[in-house]
Amino acid sequence: MSQNELCYLTITEAAAGLRRKEYSPVELTGALLKRIESLDDKLHCFITLTAELALRQAKQAEQELRSGKDRGPLHGIPIALKDLYMTEGIRTTCHSAVLENWVPNFTATTVAKLEDTGAILLGKLGMHEFAFGGPSVDAPFPAIRNPWNTAHIPGGSSSGSGAALAAGLCYGSLGSDTGGSIRTPSSHCGVVGIKPTYGRVSRHGVVPLSWSLDHAGPMARTVEDCAIILQTIAGYDAKDPASADAAVPNFRGEIGHGIKGTRIGVPRLGWFDENLGVDRQTETTFNRALERLEELGATITEIDGKPFSHARKANQTILVCEAYAYHEKRLQQTPEKFGSSVRRRMLEGAFLSAADYITAQRARAVLNEQIRANFTRVDVFATPSAPRPPEASQPWIPTSRIFVLASLTRSISQVYLPSPRPAGLLMRTYRWACRSARDRSMKPPRFGSPRPTSRRPSGTSRDRCCNRTPAVSESFPPNQRSNRINGRLTKARPSIYSDL
Amino acid sequence: MEREITLDNLRTMAQLAGLKLADEELQRLLAGVTRSKKQVAELRALIATESEPAATFNAADGK
Repeated sequence: MSQNELCYLTITEAAAGLRRKEYSPVELTGALLKRIESLDDKLHCFITLTAELALRQAKQAEQELRSGKDRGPLHGIPIALKDLYMTEGIRTTCHSAVLENWVPNFTATTVAKLEDTGAILLGKLGMHEFAFGGPSVDAPFPAIRNPWNTAHIPGGSSSGSGAALAAGLCYGSLGSDTGGSIRTPSSHCGVVGIKPTYGRVSRHGVVPLSWSLDHAGPMARTVEDCAIILQTIAGYDAKDPASADAAVPNFRGEIGHGIKGTRIGVPRLGWFDENLGVDRQTETTFNRALERLEELGATITEIDGKPFSHARKANQTILVCEAYAYHEKRLQQTPEKFGSSVRRRMLEGAFLSAADYITAQRARAVLNEQIRANFTRVDVFATPSAPRPPEASQPWIPTSRIFVLASLTRSISQVYLPSPRPAGLLMRTYRWACRSARDRSMKPPRFGSPRPTSRRPSGTSRDRCCNRTPAVSESFPPNQRSNRINGRLTKARPSIYSDL
Repeated sequence: MEREITLDNLRTMAQLAGLKLADEELQRLLAGVTRSKKQVAELRALIATESEPAATFNAADGK
């Protein structure tokens, strides 16, 4: 197996290979570090590379596995973190000049859990500033590029996580999601992300954007890999006031039970038909996906999208108010340290009143009930993850455009629902039901390549890229790439189904 | 009917909030604040007198 083939293994495959002694954690880590060195000057995924630490951890994992001490599927697996997860002794910047040299003195609960299971930390990944700005134009670190087309945005705010996974620079990552920050980059980069139920994963040690909307969650190249990471990081944490003391199911063990009989609700009318950003191609592809799900035994029901549309508005109001409250002192004292994009978005919160905020929270409760009422008729909701394919990078993306990009994800952030997101198709279900939603998203047998190998991300050169047999023809441009569904070829964007 | 926010309103609110913002920046903020206020007005129409804020949410209350 070539070095670059090593880099595109799934976590499941890499873990199995480690136990078969086909390669070692040091070899996996070395291959990734080499690839990062050769590609990241084009992609800008990493803010801080922890190469020495990674190699040290890899050697330790190698010794432990050799001696029979097996800590589970992440043992010896190199991962990387969105740079808002606090890491003791390693700087945590939030992609901002405000925290450019900040070194926390403790480690986030989720990261500590990953360390305990033997995962290897490659470094800290770039993001939208404080998870709220747009692509960086005036932050101390450059904007992350989309490996599929470096002229395009990778989505955000977990941009570095999405891009690094698509480019084969890590096997798994932790992102965070307040209004779509796991789901949008997962879609734009053709990988998989899960926004779990609020309270499922600890936020302790994750720099807040909006306390009542923030979620920590996994990103990877396959649903199963996401399940492995989620299994590791989920669970009650007394250090997080919002953490729920709820039983954690066996996510991975539930995979593959079929979609037959699943009732899928599509909140089309009044929601994504009213968001002008949903383009025709996206909707066509989405409709084709629904047809396929029906063929596999699911039933599709149109449901009222109005509550979702209103929920998006409540999300925006709550988000700006809480973000401003968290950063108020810094915005008063050193506003120049914030990038112009994030500063403007946060400052909106200074001009909304306490009554405005409470109104949004009251509406949130009402809308939550209205949306949940649908679960008597359907098991999951489905929409496109993003209303359109990744757009070209530009120096300044207006706030209104950012809100449009997240227009299909914000509503779910504010009603606490989990949202497993298989690369372009956004599935949401009721609280704590991530298990069954993931099961459903897994079952349609691999719609496409398990990793973006059918067409190389453009930040990579032929000799550096994985040369696995493409699952589909390479002759289609990225936005028309074919995907194989049960042996049949259909055309779909790479962000749609590329990872199922 | 909500009263429209003006640049003067923003300037005063910024001063009260301890924010040093140039008129140019306030001008850029005006559209966003106006949109946000409009959204809040829409949300206000959805809630009944007895509606309580979601802040009382208990993450462990099941589905």
